[in-house]
Amino acid sequence: MKTFEEKWTAWLDGQLTGRELSEFEASLPDKAAAETEKADARKLGALLKRELSARPLTNEEFFSHQLGERIMRESGEPSREREVETSTWWTIRRLLWTGAASLAVFLVFTIFVMRDKNPAEESQYLTQILNARVDPVVSPNATISMFEAKQDRATILWTEGLQSLPADYAAK
Amino acid sequence: MGRLLAFLISFVALITSAAPQLHGAETVWSGLVIAENVAQPQPIPPELIRIEGSLKKFFGYNQYQVIGQSQKTLKTGQEDWLATSKFFGLHVDARGESEAGYVFNLKLYKEKELLLETAAKLNRRSPLIIKGPQVGGGQLLLVLIVQ
Repeated sequence: MKTFEEKWTAWLDGQLTGRELSEFEASLPDKAAAETEKADARKLGALLKRELSARPLTNEEFFSHQLGERIMRESGEPSREREVETSTWWTIRRLLWTGAASLAVFLVFTIFVMRDKNPAEESQYLTQILNARVDPVVSPNATISMFEAKQDRATILWTEGLQSLPADYAAK
Repeated sequence: MGRLLAFLISFVALITSAAPQLHGAETVWSGLVIAENVAQPQPIPPELIRIEGSLKKFFGYNQYQVIGQSQKTLKTGQEDWLATSKFFGLHVDARGESEAGYVFNLKLYKEKELLLETAAKLNRRSPLIIKGPQVGGGQLLLVLIVQ
């Protein structure tokens, strides 16, 4: 048992015949409108068939197309070879070696940089005087000062007023 | 692949084991120096060449002579030693190693009399110069350098 939609499609395609055709046409509420719709559907079908079918190439066009393809193939081949050549440089082995070398360089730099932790801190690379004192009995007027000669990287403890000694004391 | 791994492991092991060695046994030079101006100055002793610029810049003398010295290789960082001249003695007492260098207690004696006492954290790359008493026309300097 066909549904109305199936019969409608078959009617549009002109596939209904005999009793089935007469019965279906009798069941149509507005036969004139249906006939108009059928004509429109046929027109649309013809249009689509005409426009969507592949246009056959003329000899001239076919020749140009073949020639174009050949030129593309010939000019495209070397560049593909180049592509292959460049891509083969980064083999897995080379990638591994490059990775290992980078890691090694990183480790070397890390270790040497870690040795100079906080290079911005002056005291890190200059000698620091923690405390200093002179015997007040021996040198009551002595004073002590300290300074860092950053340019020379030297630390100097400067005393003044220590008891002076005769030249004999310079003996070895 | 195996060779690469072996290379990596040995490299890392080498680097990490070498790093502490960089801070290994170090020698500290301590000296008693007489600085003075003379007509014909002697060349600066080799131990002081490294700080010649600083000496001349800060003290202004034209001759520096070592009258007493001592060189000690530190192994534990707890060693102590004496650098002596005829009348002076510099007692250097290492009190441990820090990341930047060594901590020292220094005492300057004139014969048996303590003239000066100080504690310093000596950096490996930064010498310590101490201006001591005036001796005749010159100056006694105490120098401590990690060599």
